Amino acid sequence: MLPRALPAPALLLCALAPLLCGAAQAEENPFVEVPGAEFRSALPAGKAEVVPIRTFLLQRHPVTNGEFLAFVTGHPEWRRGTAPAALTDAGYLTDWSGPLDPGPRATASQPVTQVSWFAAEAYCEAQHARLPDWAEWELAAAASATRRDARSDPAWRQQVLDWYARPGGKALVAVEQGQANVYGLHDMHGLVWEWVHDFNSLLPADADPEKFCGSGALDVQQKENYAVLMRIAMLGSLRASYTGHLVGFRCARTAGGSP
Amino acid sequence: MTRLRLAVASFAFLLTWLVGASADIPPDSVYQLHAQLTTQTAASAGLDLHRGHPTLITMFYGSCPAACPMLITAMQVYESQLDESAQARLRVLLVSFDAARDTPRELDRLAKLHHADVTRWTFASAADPDARRIAALLGISYRHLPSGEFEHSLLITLLDSDGRLIASTAKLVGDQEFQAKLRAATELPEGRRERPR
Repeated sequence: MLPRALPAPALLLCALAPLLCGAAQAEENPFVEVPGAEFRSALPAGKAEVVPIRTFLLQRHPVTNGEFLAFVTGHPEWRRGTAPAALTDAGYLTDWSGPLDPGPRATASQPVTQVSWFAAEAYCEAQHARLPDWAEWELAAAASATRRDARSDPAWRQQVLDWYARPGGKALVAVEQGQANVYGLHDMHGLVWEWVHDFNSLLPADADPEKFCGSGALDVQQKENYAVLMRIAMLGSLRASYTGHLVGFRCARTAGGSP
Repeated sequence: MTRLRLAVASFAFLLTWLVGASADIPPDSVYQLHAQLTTQTAASAGLDLHRGHPTLITMFYGSCPAACPMLITAMQVYESQLDESAQARLRVLLVSFDAARDTPRELDRLAKLHHADVTRWTFASAADPDARRIAALLGISYRHLPSGEFEHSLLITLLDSDGRLIASTAKLVGDQEFQAKLRAATELPEGRRERPR
């Protein structure tokens, strides 16, 4: 549906006048490669111990208000007041001063929040990208500054947990204020919750196994990894039209060009 | 003369109003989602292909061993409780999230297997990300397992003629409240506002 790559003249135009094209946003929030892995996910698919994850690209930081403003400027159907109620609840971008004005409470370098899953899907599609799947996000978020899989490190785990224990209600800080992880990704923990493409399938919609086809009840592994379990429980409890003060997102791409 | 002009004017007004009413999808309608379906006749359609009729909608996959055939049968049972004219008003849309295997030919085979009235029942499939978006909209969860099976919730949703949610049920049999809402939704002809009172 969307063009896979820009033709050469368009690229030249972007180089000359970066404000004219979406590629400018991608420059500010580049896609970073996360090598594929056989990953021990907290949510095993069926009876498999590990989930095979192919190499993918993930944006360096959560999408900011500035980046989202560029999107709604070019996509009037996603402006506050225009986006339909079926796809965004009443809280959509309500911290913004106006439909095209983030204002003082949503500065350009703060992560955008109060965006529904549908809006996040549409944003990524417009960047010729997609939301990451849960397993991809979990793989990228398992890394510390020095290790790809720091999940067994008690010190790292405590650091991640500390964020969840912090009192809420404070203004979000700008992106990329802390240390990047080993892939070069910022703010995987400590700033916002992030939508993933398959957020609605992390937990069964109904715990009654009779209402579930296939392998039945959910089996969560690594029960000591509370931070990940909290995230799964939180994302799994949301409706796709939900717009929360702490829920943002970043986009992903499959390595090799296509979303 | 005046009377004629008045008649023409009111007819024009009524026409504009009716056309306008049918063109605008309500903001809270699931038909706000632009998704592409492929039906059992290999036709492309939107989620709103049954707009104008109260519609039962669900998601499934064709190779599902037990729960999905039960789901289809359950919908037929809910439908069978309606009188004939109400059944004639109802439409049914079953969307598979297994677009790779549920080809039009396979969907057609399923429709025939279940003796579905294809003038009112549509078997369709949607590929990702559209399938995921439809599921998110309806509150259905599904996961593709390495075995090729899908783990998914069963949910039947009743939409009004404009795609607004009236009710949904996870009970395959005997949800009397759902049955009552289905009866009420199919009781009067759609476009009842056109009828002189």
